[in-house]
Amino acid sequence: MVEVRDLKTYYDSGSLLDNRPVKAVDGVSFDIRRGETLGLVGESGCGKTTLGRTLIQLEDATDGEIFFDGTDITEIRGDQLYEWRQNAQMVFQDPDSSLNDRMTVGEIVREPLDVHEWKTPAERRERVRDLLDKVGLEAEHYYRYPHQFSGGQRQRIGIARTLALNPEFIVLDEPVSALDVSVQAEIINLLEDLQDEFDLTYLFIAHDLSVVRHICDRVAVMYLGNIMEIGPTEELFTDPANPYTHALLSAIPKPDPTASRDRITLHGTPPNPRYPPSGCPFSTRCPARIRPDGYEELDDDLWDSLNSFREILRERMRAERSIRERLRERFGMETRFATMDDTYEELFGDVAVPDEVEEILTEVADTAGDHDEAEALDRFNQAFGSVCDGVGASGVDEGVKPAFHQVSESGRLSYCHRHESEYRETADVIEARN
Amino acid sequence: MSTTQTDVDKRDSDKSFRKLLGENPRPAAVWLGVLALLLALEIGRVFAGIDTLFAVIGFVVDLFAATPAAIGGNVAGTLGPAAGAVATVVFGFALAFAVSIPVSEYVPDATVDVLGLELSRRGHRWAKRVELASALVAVAALIAYTPVGGAFSAAIAAITGSVDALSSALPSLTSRELISNTGHRTPDGGWDDTFLGLSPAVAWAIRTGLVFAYATALLAWVWRGYETYRTHYRGADWTPTDDTVRRFRSNYWGLFGFAIVFIFVVLALWAPAVSPVEAEHNIYEPNANGFEYLDENGEVQEVNHVFANLDSRSDGQNTVGLLSYDDYDRWAPLGTTNRGQDMMTHLSYGARTSLTIGMTAIGLGAFVAVVLSLLSAYYKGITDIATVMTSDTIQAVPALLLIMLVSVVFQEADHPIAQPLDGGLLLALIFAFTLWPGMWRAIRGPSLQVSEQEWVDAAKSYGQTPLRTMQKHMAPYIAGYILIYASLLIGGVIISTAALTFLGLGINPPTPEWGRLIDGGRTYVATSSWHVATVPGIAIVLVVVAFNALGDAIRDAIDPEADVDEAEAATAGGGA
Repeated sequence: MVEVRDLKTYYDSGSLLDNRPVKAVDGVSFDIRRGETLGLVGESGCGKTTLGRTLIQLEDATDGEIFFDGTDITEIRGDQLYEWRQNAQMVFQDPDSSLNDRMTVGEIVREPLDVHEWKTPAERRERVRDLLDKVGLEAEHYYRYPHQFSGGQRQRIGIARTLALNPEFIVLDEPVSALDVSVQAEIINLLEDLQDEFDLTYLFIAHDLSVVRHICDRVAVMYLGNIMEIGPTEELFTDPANPYTHALLSAIPKPDPTASRDRITLHGTPPNPRYPPSGCPFSTRCPARIRPDGYEELDDDLWDSLNSFREILRERMRAERSIRERLRERFGMETRFATMDDTYEELFGDVAVPDEVEEILTEVADTAGDHDEAEALDRFNQAFGSVCDGVGASGVDEGVKPAFHQVSESGRLSYCHRHESEYRETADVIEARN
Repeated sequence: MSTTQTDVDKRDSDKSFRKLLGENPRPAAVWLGVLALLLALEIGRVFAGIDTLFAVIGFVVDLFAATPAAIGGNVAGTLGPAAGAVATVVFGFALAFAVSIPVSEYVPDATVDVLGLELSRRGHRWAKRVELASALVAVAALIAYTPVGGAFSAAIAAITGSVDALSSALPSLTSRELISNTGHRTPDGGWDDTFLGLSPAVAWAIRTGLVFAYATALLAWVWRGYETYRTHYRGADWTPTDDTVRRFRSNYWGLFGFAIVFIFVVLALWAPAVSPVEAEHNIYEPNANGFEYLDENGEVQEVNHVFANLDSRSDGQNTVGLLSYDDYDRWAPLGTTNRGQDMMTHLSYGARTSLTIGMTAIGLGAFVAVVLSLLSAYYKGITDIATVMTSDTIQAVPALLLIMLVSVVFQEADHPIAQPLDGGLLLALIFAFTLWPGMWRAIRGPSLQVSEQEWVDAAKSYGQTPLRTMQKHMAPYIAGYILIYASLLIGGVIISTAALTFLGLGINPPTPEWGRLIDGGRTYVATSSWHVATVPGIAIVLVVVAFNALGDAIRDAIDPEADVDEAEAATAGGGA
């Protein structure tokens, strides 16, 4: 029903000089089938809410297409958009913020009907009462105000408003994450009942994986504006293909204290979405990153340090040094840039570095010390870069991206170089490295 | 919840206002009956009020009607008559269009369907506005350039004339004719021409007492209306307003402020009734109006106010103090001014001046501030930046300098705007112009905050128009803030007006103004005529303090966190 093709949503920084947009959604393609529930998971700030908002046209897409029953909704404007809005609605995350406290429950639920001039006012009132009944509230709540209700009840009011126009597609933006655990289940069950009753199609955005596993037919895993893996829920949970999915699933707490599954700890923080890595988005933190020939056997700790070193170089490259800082540096005063020596010491001080590696690293550090970070990064990539970092056959950063590989018969897709025939499978690598 | 239960609920819960009114019309009827009685008692004043309203509307309409031609005239002076005519038409249409934007919502859609065009929703809205604007322009042209205009003005004149006639012919409870305090002593020690032969002081006291009793009754009627609505006709058992009212009622400092402001407003509205002499006779045209008094030879003489005022001055040598009669047996409850006019009359009409200026300035300023804050918070970006720049530019000019400059320029040119209230309206407009940036700044934060709420997104997601979103989902949250700032600033406007008049700028005589009274009396503060500056001085202090107290109380009342303990208890009790 919904086909998303290479969708990009960027936020402008608003500054006149440095105009690098925040790439909240950076080239995403997937389909949502009629009547299914597609889960969208990922850590905070990965762009899942932005994706949901773009799907119902609360944000304008920067590029790409969204076909809704064959119509590209990124193109429609004015009346067409107004008419289309009846088909796609959203349940918001925060029930405190999504209901206007100065209006009665009845007015809130009725407003979409008023906007679309649905039948007569008396029929609208009747419909609101039906809707309140459907979501498990009493018809007499019509004249109450939202803040006389608890969080769970407020979310029910929000759901009633969402249903008012009989939409076919609903984006559920973390609908239960702000609620009490005991209430979460009630709301989830309500959503499932409503889906059956009205043939709804859901995009369920969440970061609670157990809820996703319970409610969703298929799941898309998102990281830094990209979909890393998408496929049927059970399959994805039991047999993840993408390294990021591995890492994410390993973070689910296990009720069994004797369970022996290792938790995969990711190093560092997600990269700034304004400056995503040039290769695979997950390359900076990937536990199964492809290592170049010859360095495959280096110690894992050393690799962690090498990855951090690359990130520092990248960050130095884009940090602009003010005139004042250049002057301070000239006169040997302290600047907010640690000297390359300090950085080097901190990263490699307590790991064993083989001589041939040390030689390259010293060269890179010296080049960077002279503020030629671009050159240093090139040198670094030549030695330690792999296809994950966007390094092509020529040995320099060409921005090579992974491709989606079908990883099961059900059509599950994973966005990773590991699925190419020349590399080892993700699960083995993670097993080996942990 | 069983099905039968739901069905019962459904029937009982249809509590729309109209339905409740139809089921139980008695309380509303009683309430309206009381209003009819109250209005009947003061029917003369009601018509006088309508008369004044007509005059104000007429003035505003004339002002706007004259602008296109005036602008056209200016353009014609530089670019030639053809360009002038074009400018007149263009500006006239722009003006009509601006008026049509808020009005067009109330015009039925059928007016556009007549054109038989296939229009989008947006196109439909704009077409309706253009249609309305064209109609307005056509009517205006008809009135301005054809004989229809003559008939139209005649009709208007007939209406205003009859209202005017009614206002003087119909009786009022508090009218000067019914309870007269102007009369003269009789040689045998009694009073002639006064109410029941009572002394002017007692007659005046009765009339003033009646005015306040009536105003209090009116206030009680309004409160009763709210209570009636709440108990009988409101679908909701509870609304956020209930809490606001409850908090306000228990704030004694705020109630004090409200009481003083109430007295101030009553003084202004019933100025003709509470003044012991007619302002028209005593202040505006003292040499055209006379009165009778008993001279020392025991004969009833007629004298003009202008001569009597000369002998009644409170200027250090002569004093007509508080609660006394002057030599001509005119009752002066608050004494006389340094020019011999009656202080009470001056004070009540001065309250009228202050209130008019304050309301106009704050009303206009707040309106501009609210509209701009909603627009800039909703659209952000370039709209916001443009508003910031405009307001900063205005705030960069020293307000006092601007006020002096503009008021001198307009008054020297004898511009129509400078004529009402002898410069009072001009002052109000300048205040509005200098005050809106401050008010806009004050509500900018709250507006931006509310525009980030998810319910604004939700409204967008089901296709609500920007205008309605601002009205329903943003404006109610700004209203409280603007109310507070307005009530705090109105005191400032009153005191600034008085200060400017004290300096000889601002409002010219003869329009009564408190600042001029203080200016006139300041040299006599150490003499027996101390009351001339002291009485209006105290009045200003009281009114300004009262408005501030009221503003504070409103802020506390609308802030739900003011009684956070109770709120927490309620949440804990009602939690799911």
